[in-house]
Amino acid sequence: MTSYFPWLTIIVVFPIFAASSIFFLPHKGNKVFRWYTICICLMELLLTTYVFCYHFQLDDQLIQLEEDFKCINIFDFHWRLGIDGLSIGPILLTGFITTLATLAAWPVTRNSRLFYLLMLVMYSGQIGLFSSRDLLLFFIMWELELIPVYLLLSMWGGKKRLYSATKFILYTAGGSVFLLIGVLGMGLYGSNESTLDFERLANQSYPMALEIILYFGFLIAYAVKSPIIPLHTWLPDTHGEAHYSTCMLLAGILLKMGAYGLIRINMELLPHAHSIFSPWLVIVGTMQIIYAASTSFGQRNLKKRIACSSVSHMGFLIIGIGSITDTGLNGAILQILSHGFIGAALFFLSGTSCDRIRLVYLDEMGGISLPMPKIFTMFSSFSMASLALPGMSGFVAELVVFFGIITSPKYLLMPKILITFVMAIGMILTPIYLLSMSRQMFYGYKLFNVPNSFFVDSGPRELFVSICIFLPVIGIGIYPDYVFSLSVDKIEGILSNYFHR
Amino acid sequence: MEHTYQYAWIIPFLPLPVTMSIGFGLLLVPTATKNIRRMWAFVSILLLSMVMGFSANLAIQQINGSFIYQYLCSWTINNDFSLEFGYLIDPLTSIMSLLISTVGIMVLMYSDNYMSHDQGYLRFFAYMSFFNTSMLGLVTSSNLIQIHIFWELVGMCSYLLIGFWFTRPIAASACQKAFVINRVGDFGLLLGILGFYWITGSLEFRDLFEIVNNLIHNNEVNFRFVILCTCLLFLGAVAKSAQFPLHVWLPDAMEGPTPISALIHAATMVAAGIFLVARLLPLFIAIPYIMNLISLIGIITLILGATLALAQGDIKRSLAYSTVSQLGYIMLAPGIGSYRAALFHLITHAYSKALLFLGSGSIIHSMEPVVGYSPDKSQNMVLMGGLTKYVPVTRTTFLLGTLSLCGIPPLACFWSKDEILTDSWLYSPIFAIIAYFTTGLTAFYMFRVYLLTFDGYLRVHFQNYSSTKSSSFSSMSVSVWGREALKIDNPNLPFLILNSNNKVFLFSKGTYKIYNNVINRMRYFHTYFQNKYTYMYPHESENTVLFPLLVLVLFTSVVGLIGIPFDQGVVDFDILSKWLTTPFQNNSNYSVDWYAFFTNAIFSVSLSLFGLFIASIFYGSVYSSFQNLDLINFFVKMGPRRIILDQIKNIIYNWSYNGGYIDIFYTRVFTVSIRQLAKLITFFDRRIIDGITNTIGLSSFFIGEGIKYMGSGRISSYLFLYFSFVSIFLLIFLFYSY
Repeated sequence: MTSYFPWLTIIVVFPIFAASSIFFLPHKGNKVFRWYTICICLMELLLTTYVFCYHFQLDDQLIQLEEDFKCINIFDFHWRLGIDGLSIGPILLTGFITTLATLAAWPVTRNSRLFYLLMLVMYSGQIGLFSSRDLLLFFIMWELELIPVYLLLSMWGGKKRLYSATKFILYTAGGSVFLLIGVLGMGLYGSNESTLDFERLANQSYPMALEIILYFGFLIAYAVKSPIIPLHTWLPDTHGEAHYSTCMLLAGILLKMGAYGLIRINMELLPHAHSIFSPWLVIVGTMQIIYAASTSFGQRNLKKRIACSSVSHMGFLIIGIGSITDTGLNGAILQILSHGFIGAALFFLSGTSCDRIRLVYLDEMGGISLPMPKIFTMFSSFSMASLALPGMSGFVAELVVFFGIITSPKYLLMPKILITFVMAIGMILTPIYLLSMSRQMFYGYKLFNVPNSFFVDSGPRELFVSICIFLPVIGIGIYPDYVFSLSVDKIEGILSNYFHR
Repeated sequence: MEHTYQYAWIIPFLPLPVTMSIGFGLLLVPTATKNIRRMWAFVSILLLSMVMGFSANLAIQQINGSFIYQYLCSWTINNDFSLEFGYLIDPLTSIMSLLISTVGIMVLMYSDNYMSHDQGYLRFFAYMSFFNTSMLGLVTSSNLIQIHIFWELVGMCSYLLIGFWFTRPIAASACQKAFVINRVGDFGLLLGILGFYWITGSLEFRDLFEIVNNLIHNNEVNFRFVILCTCLLFLGAVAKSAQFPLHVWLPDAMEGPTPISALIHAATMVAAGIFLVARLLPLFIAIPYIMNLISLIGIITLILGATLALAQGDIKRSLAYSTVSQLGYIMLAPGIGSYRAALFHLITHAYSKALLFLGSGSIIHSMEPVVGYSPDKSQNMVLMGGLTKYVPVTRTTFLLGTLSLCGIPPLACFWSKDEILTDSWLYSPIFAIIAYFTTGLTAFYMFRVYLLTFDGYLRVHFQNYSSTKSSSFSSMSVSVWGREALKIDNPNLPFLILNSNNKVFLFSKGTYKIYNNVINRMRYFHTYFQNKYTYMYPHESENTVLFPLLVLVLFTSVVGLIGIPFDQGVVDFDILSKWLTTPFQNNSNYSVDWYAFFTNAIFSVSLSLFGLFIASIFYGSVYSSFQNLDLINFFVKMGPRRIILDQIKNIIYNWSYNGGYIDIFYTRVFTVSIRQLAKLITFFDRRIIDGITNTIGLSSFFIGEGIKYMGSGRISSYLFLYFSFVSIFLLIFLFYSY
């Protein structure tokens, strides 16, 4: 059953269209832009949900809601969209987090018109990326994402914002070069006719050397985005400087684009190279868990510490992708969603509390739990979620990744034991830095020397944002089956390539 | 009959609504929630009473019918991976849930009064209810993953409750320490679970036992790997039950409110490790190595805890070390194969220790108005003494608890401890000697606590003495809840100032710098005073505090009965054995040799009495002065050999006081090494990985500048370049043409 109504095109184009019309709004202060943006985001989210509810079959592992318009004749470039079980989760996550991020960005008053414009452009770019079925379209969406982030960073960031923004753009643009090489190499390989369609590319086979080169090119691009060590250093700087709503988008969605690409392109299109590289991915992921956790101790800056913790959590994702099992891959997808929620919430809460006490260094803080009990409660809950407390989504994701790695038939006994052991050491390190962070921020008592130091606890808007993120975290933690049911058939389809070899 | 079992899943979830409604109420409508705060306490007690009724019903059915009921439903289904949730009702579960709910009700009632002047009253009840939920969930869980889930939730509750007074820095570090050490245990537990999942492909207990036993029997599995996995599982139990290498969190956990120490850190949560061992005993029994390891860890913990309890100055810390020691007994029992004795001692110890902790809370409450609201003072046994006059009911209950823990016959712990001692004699004489010796030590330190607290006369005036002796820190006095609270009600401000002289009570001798840092705490005071009291003398607590104490005294006195063999018609048997028949069928023909029983009992009781006697010589009212606090001072009077003895005693005293230096060792080795590693990796990250990027950026900047200089638009430089290249070209051309 194909619906000929171009739902996906509308979903992708609507935010950017609405964003461009933000200039026609009367200039009557920030309130207009705020409400306009939040309404657009909500409408988009509702539209997405509606489409997914009524025009999407969960039990079908094929691409649905497919659209195909030929844009450039000579180059075989199509506007080709479509979603499947793999992309539905990230798209919903994008809608959810972006809506909350626009809600969180209400205190932004400086040039708010441009700010919201950029947020909406990002929204389009992200949904377009997750729903594109064409390699070049994928690349274009990938690039479309960078410019708003760069501008958001360089205009609304902290003190060192220009440095961070430049670093960010150089890193990611450097990665994009490899992505472009990969895209073109893959598209132009076919001797008779060049193709950029995912479905046709999936059936194409390459010579081993070329496949490895292509894989490597894609991997570098995703390793920058994801991030995978040693290409992660842009992340703490960027997160340390960006405004917290930007951070929410960065941590919640942008980092997931790398992981999504890794599954979508590297696993689906280049299965042979992936099965060669997957042990290395697992090793790198294991190292990353420990390495990023240890760097996190050394960070004095609160936001940088959380950023390092999210690098550490990405390690589980990489391991899940590297263990070519059903379970591990499901865990990786769950980790995408779970970390999207938790990371965004942590950045939001740390950003709001930093703005209130006007300090960013952990050793200067202390004792703010008394004036701000609500932030304290929410922050503790999310630190618990982040350190994989059972009953919350992080635990399920990590547990499933653990099961994935031990049931993986690809690895031998000793490497498995070693990898599991090191991953579990990460489980000890995570609470140390997260809890000492919350101890340094909230526990203890401190007489603030600032005269008239009067801190307001989080208001209803902030409470709403954090509770909104908290509910899915708990929901996934208690009943993860629903999220699994979205992607399980698709993953089976992807993995069947590996066993037919 | 059957339908009680069917609805048993409700047991863990009954206390949950309280937590949820208090949590959301506090976040969304704080004022309204706080206005009906006593109501919440009532509701949580009510719900827990329903749990108690339920589990009592189950227990009776287990005693009569004793069959195991299990119910499963799926949690996640994947293609090759499915997890099932369910519950398992067997004797162990019914015992544990009955224990948890009874102690829990007592503690909730008690804390209604104990915490009534605390600003975190509601938070406290929310945490408590959540703890009850997760603990009940732990004991009713039917597979290992479920155990792991509730295991961590229990750890989190413990974390939150230790850090309940979060404005105290020392409580903040204590709760973090407890969580991290428990996480080490969880690490082991998770790895063990994964290992067994890999071996057997199942997580459900009965399948797991069957498959593992078959595999071991048929020699189809790598035996070393199985041992590794069981050791890792046991690591979880070690951390949770505060056994030897990982016991350090328990004494620090006493920073939490006293009802918490009674419920979580004495009666229930620390028993979770024992519960795990008991639950997995069919698995462990197949592997003799792990049984030896369990008994070894048990015996080490037993003696270590007892020795460390000898010289503590803080009443709660010494009770905590005694808990460690008793947990050693309980852990020893399954190691030597006496499952029944372990559970028996678990029950009796839980009631006695809950009684003792609640008693100490009552003492602390009565001392607080007199000496000040800092745990350094109100829990300090140096400043107590002679409380018999002032708090008679508490004193009687505390004495009964002490005697029970020492193993004096009619009381509960005697029966269970004696059983463990007898069984240890059958296992290994060395272990038995250590265990017997420790009974003497137990009697000594418990009676020391009792005598220091209640005997002699009140030593409040030593406060100044001890303060002048120690080094002084300047610290400000701030209430637990901060300045605002202090401003609101300060009718007693003169009193506060009186106590806030800038001196900190300090025992350590200055050589232990790290410990000094721990002690270097700011003092905090409650601002809530009971105006109706005069502050010269301690007062007895209110009836709502005393009532749970009395009920627990009742339990302590009679709970021993369930393990005593009755003559019931033809065969001898007792309730506990009947209760526990299912796991071990061979226990059903358990019969008692009364003669052997009496000889053993006489031996252990005489040891305990000896310990009591020594303690009363050292700390009794004859010498009731401050000097008797230290063992050293007793030997001062001994004559010529006193210098050597003095040194030995000094060493022992310091060793015991500083917790065997294990804490310091951990700080020096693990904490410092982790910090160093973090520093190193951060340096590496920032200087090398980031440095490479920055260098590339900088160098490209310089190259750009250079090129900009080159292409700056000066015609002379263009001409120079042009002519130089033309000349080079010409030169080459000339070379080639000739």
